[in-house]
Amino acid sequence: MEQTFSEVISSIPWGIVAPLLVIQSILLIVALVDWFRIESTNGPKWVWLIIILFFNIPGPILYFLIGRRNDG
Amino acid sequence: MQWMTLFQKETLENWRNFKWLWVPITFILVAALDPVTTHYLPVILEKSGELPEGAILDLPTPTPPEAFLLSFGQLNLLGVAVVLLMTMGIIAAERKSGVTELILVKPVSYTAYITAKWASTLVLIFFSLFLGLLTSWYYVNILYGDLAFSIMIGSFFLYSVWITFVLTISIFMNVFFKTPGLVGFLSVALIILINSLNGLVSRFIDGYPPQINAYIREYVINGSTSGDLWLTLIITLLLIGVLLISSVLIFRKKELAA
Repeated sequence: MEQTFSEVISSIPWGIVAPLLVIQSILLIVALVDWFRIESTNGPKWVWLIIILFFNIPGPILYFLIGRRNDG
Repeated sequence: MQWMTLFQKETLENWRNFKWLWVPITFILVAALDPVTTHYLPVILEKSGELPEGAILDLPTPTPPEAFLLSFGQLNLLGVAVVLLMTMGIIAAERKSGVTELILVKPVSYTAYITAKWASTLVLIFFSLFLGLLTSWYYVNILYGDLAFSIMIGSFFLYSVWITFVLTISIFMNVFFKTPGLVGFLSVALIILINSLNGLVSRFIDGYPPQINAYIREYVINGSTSGDLWLTLIITLLLIGVLLISSVLIFRKKELAA
């Protein structure tokens, strides 16, 4: 039952998981870059940083959908 | 000429606000996650350690077509939601902030203004949908077994008709109201209503737009469809045309009155 950390890491099928991780990271980075450059968001800006960072996939998507001001 | 200028302006805007990046990525994740997690579900359940000792898990493995169809289930929920939320302010917000007036004081036709917005969003959505389905197809082939590439292409074309219908409803709502939130809410409500009436309406008439999803299911599993697929497609395309033309007409009337 007990597995070492390296055993767990090597048991993950990276060929399958890696592309999804890469895509997800791109999404996260783009959202962060945009968050830094944008002047103001819908609602407090720092809240959106927390949402982007801590809600893995839906966070950045929600930021782009709702957080960015559509009229600015 | 003028239409191309407006189209390019919209496409440029979609670059500047990163839509060309995050919409395709969202569609890829939405379409690919379900086939992948379903494949690893037994492992995930085992590793999460919530099961009592000696519990036997006997989950049926989906066939490749079934696994591919999981993507459409997610697209119908999250993909449609993304399209509707993304476009809820596409015209409404511009009317509210006055950008529309800035554009329309110049000799810009109302038809070009609406259809350029519609077309540029459509290109973006088709591109994203294709990438999403391609990723899903790739994972299904690796994890579940062979699925013909032509099935992916065929279902992409069928689903793009449905997603065009969804987008056109959102554009139609945009013309009526100036508040993006209200537009989003009403389009979501309308799509849910149209979908939930599917069972009832399909019993009496053929060619109701949401039936496309049933045809996609049939096509992916059997490789062919029975019944009036073409009738459904033609009626849906006609409805898209009617919605688009009435959007332009209503928009013109409202803007001239304002």
